[in-house]
Amino acid sequence: MKIAASIALGTLAGLALAGGLAAESGKSKLPYVYTKWKQFTVADGLPNDHIFAVKADGGRVWIGTENGLAMLDKRTGKIKSWTEKDGLPFRAVTAIDVDRKTGDVWLGLFGGGLARFSGGRFDHWHQLNSGLVNDVVYGVAVENDNIWAATTAGASRFNIKTQEWSIFTEKNAPMEEIWNYSASYNGSDKVYLAVWGSGVLEYDIKANRWKDYLDPDGEMEIDLYRDDGIVHVIATGAQEAGGALWISSYFGASRYDGRNWRAFYNQDSGLPSDFLNNLTARSADEAWFCSDKGAGAITDFSSNTWVAYTRDANGKGGKAIVTRDKEVLETVELPVGIPHNYIINADMDGNDVWLATAKGLGWGIGNGYYPGLRERPKTPARPAPRKRGSK
Amino acid sequence: MNGVRRLIPAGAAVTALIALASLHGAPRQPVYVGARACAACHTGKGIGNQYGLWLHSKHSRAYAALARPESKEIVEISGLRQVPQEAAICLGCHATAYNAEKWEKDDDFRIEDGVQCEACHGPGSEYMTEAVMRNPEEARKAGLRIPDDRFCLGCHVEKGSHVAVLKAPKLEKKKAWADIAHPRPGTGTVKVTGKPPDFPVPPEAQKAAHKYIGAAQCGSCHKGEAMGHQYSVWRMSAHARAWSVLSTPAAYAQAARKGIVGDPQRAPECLKCHSTGYGAAHTASSKVDEGVTCEACHGPGSDYAFEAVMHDKRGAIQAGLKTPTRETCLGCHGTKFDTAAGMKAIAHPSKPPVATNGRHEVRYKNPLNMALRPGGKELWVTCEAADSVIVVDTAARKSVAEIPVGGMPIEVAFAPGGKLAFVSNRHDDTVSVIDTGSRKIVKTLATGDEPHGVLTDRQGKYLYVANTSSGDVSVFDIASLTYVKTLSASRGPWSLALSPDGAVMLLTNMLARFSPLRTPFASELTSIDAERGTVDERRVVDGANMMMGVDWHPSGKFALATLNRTKSLVPMTRLMQGWTITNGLAIMWRDGAVDQVLLDEPNMGFADPSDVACTPDGRYALVTSAGTDRVAVVDIAKLTAALGRATKHEREHVIPNHQGYPTEFVLKHIDVKNNPRGVLVAPDGSEAYVANSLDDSLSVIDLKRLEAVARIDLGGSREITRYRQGERLFHNARITFRHQHSCASCHPDGHIDSVTYDIESDGIGISPVDNRTLRGILDTAPFKWEGTNPSLSRQCGARLSVFFTRLLPFTPEELAAVDRYVTAIERPPNRYRSLGAPLNPAQRRGKAVFGRTMTNDGRTIPIENRCITCHFPPYFTDRQLHDVGTRMPADRQGKFDAPHLNNIYDSAPYLHNGMAATLEEIWTVYNPDDRHGVTNDMTKDQLNELVEYLKTL
Repeated sequence: MKIAASIALGTLAGLALAGGLAAESGKSKLPYVYTKWKQFTVADGLPNDHIFAVKADGGRVWIGTENGLAMLDKRTGKIKSWTEKDGLPFRAVTAIDVDRKTGDVWLGLFGGGLARFSGGRFDHWHQLNSGLVNDVVYGVAVENDNIWAATTAGASRFNIKTQEWSIFTEKNAPMEEIWNYSASYNGSDKVYLAVWGSGVLEYDIKANRWKDYLDPDGEMEIDLYRDDGIVHVIATGAQEAGGALWISSYFGASRYDGRNWRAFYNQDSGLPSDFLNNLTARSADEAWFCSDKGAGAITDFSSNTWVAYTRDANGKGGKAIVTRDKEVLETVELPVGIPHNYIINADMDGNDVWLATAKGLGWGIGNGYYPGLRERPKTPARPAPRKRGSK
Repeated sequence: MNGVRRLIPAGAAVTALIALASLHGAPRQPVYVGARACAACHTGKGIGNQYGLWLHSKHSRAYAALARPESKEIVEISGLRQVPQEAAICLGCHATAYNAEKWEKDDDFRIEDGVQCEACHGPGSEYMTEAVMRNPEEARKAGLRIPDDRFCLGCHVEKGSHVAVLKAPKLEKKKAWADIAHPRPGTGTVKVTGKPPDFPVPPEAQKAAHKYIGAAQCGSCHKGEAMGHQYSVWRMSAHARAWSVLSTPAAYAQAARKGIVGDPQRAPECLKCHSTGYGAAHTASSKVDEGVTCEACHGPGSDYAFEAVMHDKRGAIQAGLKTPTRETCLGCHGTKFDTAAGMKAIAHPSKPPVATNGRHEVRYKNPLNMALRPGGKELWVTCEAADSVIVVDTAARKSVAEIPVGGMPIEVAFAPGGKLAFVSNRHDDTVSVIDTGSRKIVKTLATGDEPHGVLTDRQGKYLYVANTSSGDVSVFDIASLTYVKTLSASRGPWSLALSPDGAVMLLTNMLARFSPLRTPFASELTSIDAERGTVDERRVVDGANMMMGVDWHPSGKFALATLNRTKSLVPMTRLMQGWTITNGLAIMWRDGAVDQVLLDEPNMGFADPSDVACTPDGRYALVTSAGTDRVAVVDIAKLTAALGRATKHEREHVIPNHQGYPTEFVLKHIDVKNNPRGVLVAPDGSEAYVANSLDDSLSVIDLKRLEAVARIDLGGSREITRYRQGERLFHNARITFRHQHSCASCHPDGHIDSVTYDIESDGIGISPVDNRTLRGILDTAPFKWEGTNPSLSRQCGARLSVFFTRLLPFTPEELAAVDRYVTAIERPPNRYRSLGAPLNPAQRRGKAVFGRTMTNDGRTIPIENRCITCHFPPYFTDRQLHDVGTRMPADRQGKFDAPHLNNIYDSAPYLHNGMAATLEEIWTVYNPDDRHGVTNDMTKDQLNELVEYLKTL
């Protein structure tokens, strides 16, 4: 009897929630949608349009490209760039992190190792002149006095005070494969590595211990048991925010709150695609995933509400599609959208969002941004532009 | 591993563990077991009394010998701060396993046993069992080393320090081999007891209340300088060899004459006088082989040998401590014994031994830098040689207090308001925080390596500390006195100056940025945003190095910094444009542009400009020349006007090398005292103070008259020792043509300027060589990369004159003084490991790589290609020339002197011509054929670990 009552209450609560989320006198509980985007390309001063990494640092935004480093001054909109002739040690900048305490910018170089950009000077560490394990660096993270580099042959950790290099591979970490895709640290006690074929590794700084997150069903092609762990061991990004661990992979996304796992796929979420290159997380409720078909932002975890940002085939415009459990709640036409649908990297900057794409940098300006959901009218769909000559 | 007594019965288990480890490919972890463990089998006539022979040899007394006054003298002239028995360099040859970790030594291993069996034969845990040792091949495989005379030379090669003090003759190898020979007689199987020699004590005696505890127990307190090294004094005496002497042929002969049959070391008649407490009760710590110990004269120690009792002399006597009398000696020495002479021979007073040559300690002050306590009444002066800060009353012009701080204080700064003072201690890697009211240290902050400049921001939020060896800046929160962060500097960060508006903290870096071989170098002025505490800009100063002093002009439009312009890409014989080293100033404009001007004049150099200070009215800048004992007065208006008149081309290419140019703006030179370093102008602009480092004084300069008007004595010794004379010569430029540079110009603080020089006169760049440190080099001859100078006298004598100074060489007396100073230049403590401290896991694995004999794929590494062969402790050099495949086309030869590796982390770049920027590059780039050790089979983490270990040496 008691159980039955609980179920009934739960159902009622569910219905009430659904009712609350549903349209009500023309208004709905809807997420914030970035409707104002700016695009930056070579024409705006970037050294290259293939953007591999983006990192916001106060009023400055650091941009790693296939052929140089750039810095956008948000206030003036001016871009300054550095290529090899300016001292950049290697042309392809694939990862960026900023040491908030020192202001130094750390760069992962795709074949060139690791670099520090400090006060206009580039310092260079590579596998011949230092203890860096490999020169193909996919990810970089600043953790206290340590710099972590995710490389194609393991992870390296460099202590800037002691100058000591540590290498983490299958020999001393639960790394079944050593192809590291990303490293992240958000100020807590944990560093996360996303590893091709080895899932996500969590390094406990205080305990000096590793923990691995693998796909428990061990299936490479299918996710046999949903929500049993990460969706796939080919992980590309992992970030902790607000107590939740968000993970991107080439086969979908995952979220772990310390107790429960949740998987996200294109088929039942707002993810534009399951092929995810990376992610950036804002909170336990909001994360942005970088896919090959646009950016997918889960904006309210509890209601599985997403906004997918895509670019139209022609012109600069695009769409923001709000979905909940795959149901389209709103489609917002964007006169200027994201620069390209192939998203490689992303970063948050207060209310703003930055996207590194295969053709240019996107700046989502978050004026009036609010987290989660709010009751607001749906954005009216713009009528499709009439073809020339039609009536 | 627990104790020898437990180890030996457990030998089989040890062997099994080793076998198991080998099976799993685990690295060997050999442990030093100590000579007594060897004695278990190597005692007795059948095996040639090997243990007794060792105990009777100088090797067993090698550690004790470090207690001799001569050892202290050797330490002093070698630039070591520690006492000999705690100095790694001494222990490296006077002890066994001196730098081993605790786990590498059995509980019963005693460093006091000096150079033990395992010093030559390797740590014994893996081969010590009887089963292994009976099979020589197996024993070798298990780690038993059979050294040759080359191995002995690792320690017994001639050492300048020992020759100087002990007048020690060169080792005669044949005689030395004979002295330590310990052959096993015959070829048959020797029966061994498997137990170390011990007292045959009847069970009833063991129940006695009074027990002998053994000399080692006494030695646990009666050691060290404060106790007169009593244990070591005993250890060096014939008493300590009383048991071992019984194994000599003479003892056998005498025993035979007395009708004693068998082994004298087991004969009660002999042991009564050749051991202690024969037939009485002993604790486990008492050993028969200790011979005649303390307790033979002072009675069994179990009654009184407690610290609480021994601190009370009367109480100790009451408890049983005996005062020896004539009768005590006569019992064994017979009635004809000259007791007085005997007592004198074994005297062991508990007061420090007196130096044999009548030396006494002479302490200087070496003032370096100053700061005025807010209020202007007190001038605080760091005194590098006295480990103190001296407080000078500016009105009375005399010192009023001396505050002990850490080792080698360099700079002092006050927090805004003046309540706290901060002093950088270069030797200790700390900053002393001093409460200025009580003049007491209230906290000590751990910094990076060799802290130098210290300064706070205007608000007093952050304290900045420039770490000159680790190349960074430690930032501390002043309110909480806690570490905040580390900022990257350039190489050799030196001094800091805050702009008048408080916005920019400018940092000089003494060493130029690393530049590849045969490329020009540049230095960096690091600009720190003082509000954010971040590096916002790095100004590049082309062709400059040794940038040290810095100050802002009160207008805030520019800052001035001292510099050298070192022309390392042309032969040193080229005299154009001021020869190899010119000296001057950088003018760093607020917009980022940097001008350079010289302070040298055509016939008079301004060697070693060290510090600069602007007057509050902005009219003058005072610059010290440490090498010519002068202060230059720069007329700022004339300087800026002259630069303003010059074209861009002139400012970039002509003026920086123009020796006639200083006449445009140098108003006057003021003579001060020896080696002026820091300069400070009083806030009211009336006076300036100059720290005369090698005169232990301050000069007071009247800024109206532009004259030195007073000398403030800081109280250092007035005696000018040979060391002091050498120190002054080393830092003075009068030895060089036109007074252009001093020894210190290339060897600041006895270290390196990190520059590769083309020294030869050929003019075509043959054999450019990397500058090498002078820290702790006394016993590392030969000198020069090509090993052509067998002694420092040769290095600093005629050769110096031919290649470096171009004037008459030092007189013999001067040369002796310079040698005395140079050999005593201290090597700072290793920042990665103190003596005996545990290695971290990576360093531990690196140590195994350093000592490895096999490649990863199981090939044996030839002995001559193992790290340890050429880099033999304690200096980690065998002092021989080796061809490690680094010869370059312009090199005259391929063989180069094996460099010592102590503190190798602080003397980049590496290899003979400095072509390797990092330790890693030595092997990743410059060892393609495995000629510099076998390294190409190593994994990346193995190389990292090797580097981590090298940094601990």
